[in-house]
Amino acid sequence: MSQMLLSVNDLHVHFPVFGGIFYRKLAEIKAVDGVSFEIRKGETLGLVGESGCGKSTVGRAIINVLRFIAPDVHLKGEIILHLEDQQKINLLNLDKKSMRPYRRKVQMVFQDPYSSLNPRLTIKQIIEEPLEIHNPDMSESERDDRVAWLLSKVGLRPEQARRYPHEFSGGQRQRIGVARSLATNPDLIIADEPVSALDVSIQAQVLNLLLELQEEFHLTYLFIAHDLSVVHHISNRIAVMYLGNIVEIGPSEIVFYDPKHPYTKALISAVPRPEPQRTRPKRQVLVGDVPTPLAKPSGCGFRTRCPIAKPECAKSVPQFVDKGDDHFVACPYV
Amino acid sequence: MSNQPIETNQQTLPQEEIAKGQEIASISLLKKRIRKFKTLKRGYYSFLIIVSMYVLSFFLMFLVNNRALIVKYNGNYYFPVFKYHAVEEFGQSGYGEARYRELKKQFAEEKKGNWVLMPPYPYGPIESLLEELEGTPPHPPSKEHWMGTDDRGRDVFARLAYGFRISISFAIILVLIEYSIGVSIGAMLGYYGGKIDLFGQRFIELWSAVPGLYTLIILTSIFRPNFAMLVIFIAIFGWMGITYYIRGEFYREKAKDYVSAAIAMGASDRKIIFRHILPNALTPVISFGPFAVVGGIGSLVALDYLGFGLPPPTPSWGQMAQVGLQNISKWWLVLFPLGALFVTLLLVVFIGEAIRNAFDPREYSRLR
Repeated sequence: MSQMLLSVNDLHVHFPVFGGIFYRKLAEIKAVDGVSFEIRKGETLGLVGESGCGKSTVGRAIINVLRFIAPDVHLKGEIILHLEDQQKINLLNLDKKSMRPYRRKVQMVFQDPYSSLNPRLTIKQIIEEPLEIHNPDMSESERDDRVAWLLSKVGLRPEQARRYPHEFSGGQRQRIGVARSLATNPDLIIADEPVSALDVSIQAQVLNLLLELQEEFHLTYLFIAHDLSVVHHISNRIAVMYLGNIVEIGPSEIVFYDPKHPYTKALISAVPRPEPQRTRPKRQVLVGDVPTPLAKPSGCGFRTRCPIAKPECAKSVPQFVDKGDDHFVACPYV
Repeated sequence: MSNQPIETNQQTLPQEEIAKGQEIASISLLKKRIRKFKTLKRGYYSFLIIVSMYVLSFFLMFLVNNRALIVKYNGNYYFPVFKYHAVEEFGQSGYGEARYRELKKQFAEEKKGNWVLMPPYPYGPIESLLEELEGTPPHPPSKEHWMGTDDRGRDVFARLAYGFRISISFAIILVLIEYSIGVSIGAMLGYYGGKIDLFGQRFIELWSAVPGLYTLIILTSIFRPNFAMLVIFIAIFGWMGITYYIRGEFYREKAKDYVSAAIAMGASDRKIIFRHILPNALTPVISFGPFAVVGGIGSLVALDYLGFGLPPPTPSWGQMAQVGLQNISKWWLVLFPLGALFVTLLLVVFIGEAIRNAFDPREYSRLR
């Protein structure tokens, strides 16, 4: 088993909602409510779930930007980065300054290729910015060479460095985003739905690019997506999130072909299969809607829609049950 | 493991197309907008007119002045535009500064090789022409005095010309100060958010509730302000408006992924504010700027009109409008100052309108 790179322990991300005459805290949005997982060096962990389940928030918590975007956010738990010399750093508690040395190790590729590149900067300026911050000794010409090299690695031409983002297509912009995230030689890349804004044909190109780069640079990915077949294609392991919790985590093939948790079963049964001859598993349709994270059900978050819910489910949050083969399910009744 | 690459049609552009792509010059969004602005003829020509008149107004001392450009007297050359010369120096009687128009006539009659070169329009903005002109002021327009004289016998055209420079300079400096205060504070509120934003906004609301004009009148009646003090006084009560826009822009921009990317790579607050967010948040500043200049010209005119503005005998448009009101039957004292004000404000509004259209995101939102 390869070395551990990142372990997230019991992560909570709560956004307070203020209001009233005295601007008091009225409620909390529990975007992430006790998430734990581990990523090993060189693997790809796919994080899936429907919109609003908190999967992107997990990614943003790892790169430590939430505190900036929402200064009132309440963060709890541990995000531990394992360094080469067995050192462990909890990224969650670091302020801006002490975080800086570790920033280069964890980078992110964003979902929207249109808002993730500053429209006022040229491609060169965008890609060389992380270099200016983390390799300040680099000379101008070394930086130019590095930018050109990075562009060629992601399949763009170095001459395009002088151009502005609006002169590129969505797929090309996503390649630029990948080049930017590679600039600092990161260990972990968090890919937050990197292909969901792209056409299907371009999706495959970008996914293949990510796989090639993983092989070449020994990258580790946290691949966040809602498209199960994409995640299945790219990931070694899959974690399924529902309403701020991971309900099932395990090797890609097991989770995809032999899901245990009732939510995962329903999710997998909804994936369109391109082989009409093959008998597909019976479609399981869930009733009702996802409850709002403002008022999560007590105990198991899924019990309001669960086909096998029991009265005991309301009492406590279910713990992971080991199903063997590195496969864990947060439900005691399957 | 299912990590085999999917087969795709890798983009292979024909060689021709690549060559063509390289020829297309890469242009920034700003350049695009400038190009668009140039196509909006009304605004663009207004811009050219205002800018060239403003540049020209810095050479007014060579164009409209009662001091001579060059005097040749007893073999020596003098340049009175730059230096004060008393009457005795050129052999005139009386006291005070030499009277160059008189000197010119005198030298021409004497024919001793002395001469005077006057500016094209040889009257100053603050000199009284009572001694030269017959009758009582105000004098109607004539060949010498294109727009007549005011109630103290001062040339209206010269005063208008100098007043233009003062009005525009005043408004531009005022807008620069107001916007630099407003943009910094708005940026701070929007970027840091939280408590800073909450208390900052309440302070701005309180400050906006101070009646600016009346406070200004009290301040100016205590201090008798000069140009710089007046600009600062007005700016103190005028920076709040733009903070709302900049704060909103910062809130919107900081939620975008490129800012998250900048944080994730460890960029400093300073860099994120000035390099990333501010250039993307300046649209309201640029599109409100010309209208703020209009407002600035207006507020100086209003204060001067009420007599609380720049100290006399400064040639200001507000003071001239007031003289016009007092002599409402003398059409040239009403028509020319108000006409100049009207035309100037109209041109600036045309510029503002064109800038607003050039920055209209609808046209470029697809390209963002």
